[in-house]
Amino acid sequence: MSLATPDGGPRRATIQSVERAARILKLLGAGSWRLGVTEVAERLGLAKGTAYGLLRTLEAQELVEQDPETGKYRLGPAMLQLGNAFLDNHELRARSLLWADSLASRGAEAVRVGVLHGSNVLIVHHVFRPDNSVQILEVGASIPWHACALGKAIAAYLPDAQRRSLLDSGLVPLTGRTVTDPATLEESLATVATAGVALEDQEAIVGEAEIAAPVFDDMGHSVGAIGVVGPVERLVPDGRVSATLLAAVRETSRGLSRDMGAGRVRSRGPAARP
Amino acid sequence: MAANRDFLTQLDAAIGDADHGVNMDRGFSAAVIDLDATTDLPPGELLIRVGGTLIYRVGGAAGPLYGTCLRRAGESLGDAQVFDGEALLTALRVGLGGIQKLGAAEEGDKTIVDAYAPALTAFERELRAGGDAAIAARKAVEAARDGMRATVPMQARKGRASYLGPRSVGHQDPGATSTASLFAALAGALDGER
Repeated sequence: MSLATPDGGPRRATIQSVERAARILKLLGAGSWRLGVTEVAERLGLAKGTAYGLLRTLEAQELVEQDPETGKYRLGPAMLQLGNAFLDNHELRARSLLWADSLASRGAEAVRVGVLHGSNVLIVHHVFRPDNSVQILEVGASIPWHACALGKAIAAYLPDAQRRSLLDSGLVPLTGRTVTDPATLEESLATVATAGVALEDQEAIVGEAEIAAPVFDDMGHSVGAIGVVGPVERLVPDGRVSATLLAAVRETSRGLSRDMGAGRVRSRGPAARP
Repeated sequence: MAANRDFLTQLDAAIGDADHGVNMDRGFSAAVIDLDATTDLPPGELLIRVGGTLIYRVGGAAGPLYGTCLRRAGESLGDAQVFDGEALLTALRVGLGGIQKLGAAEEGDKTIVDAYAPALTAFERELRAGGDAAIAARKAVEAARDGMRATVPMQARKGRASYLGPRSVGHQDPGATSTASLFAALAGALDGER
């Protein structure tokens, strides 16, 4: 069976049972779910027997496990190992560890490293603000690209078609300051491309701001971004971006890009775009 | 607020920044100290002042949100030394407007608004039905608590909890919880007036 993909190429047939198993895992991972066989079957439109067989097979692989009291299913311990392996094998994350630590202590703020995943930024590394306060680990968080500096930093350096599709992806407001107008956002991305650094001022969380810069690979593609995130009164004191943090983020992203194999990183003006 | 601090911190740790309780306690303690030192200011001015303290001392999202709420409420009361239920209703409504302008949250997003909006509606309904401000405030507390409990099954659509994944489901929202506390404090204060 060969179906055309949107760009006209042929699509390889997928194996139905594997696809269904993957959907079960994603379903169990999408909420704080413990679901019974019937619930799984109903939500995925499967026959109960089919759902049962899939769950038993996944259970044997420890990808799901059954709660002994209720009999309901949840993700199993093997998922944690796979998740960790994803992080450990992620090149940008692996190379960012020392850079992120150094940026966090230099800037005295929390640091995040993110990659684009669909129209969100997936946080692959997070260093806490070094002040002994209680914080929540954000590794694995999925933030709408347009509401964080990481996303804007990545988007500003994407090929035109990809950037356009992000701008058209439906921009939801996370706060009263989130920019949801594609034209305004596009202009600010042009500024990011010139400055080489992006700012987010209370556009994801009230009271919080982020300063981020893109990270490039040896092909010159923006493969992710690194930034400092913290209280707006420290990152943007009196309405002006902290020059110290700006410099620190820029230098860190350049160093990390070099580690990723990038050549000398220049800031690109609008004319540099194809 | 001090008694609720640990409870709020536990809630927040489950889904958010783990410092809501600590932040609110610090901010309100600072506001109380400041109030003790002020001379006879009209209530509106006091609210503006407390709002300012909250903005600077609470931190997180709660500081700007509650601080702006109280400042706007205070501004709407002007310099009147006494005010009636209607003026209080307006102040409460304007306060909610401030919160929604900053945070862009609507009912169902699992935030302060999910306790505040029902509380406001209940307050107004009681006033229109002829009740006095103290009774209306008590109805508001009930509605705020109902709203607060209703956030438990919601998935957060605003704030850090909204992008940390599905773990917010099954936990009561800290912001909605502290909102219910604030309305309880209001009702307590009005009860004391009678």
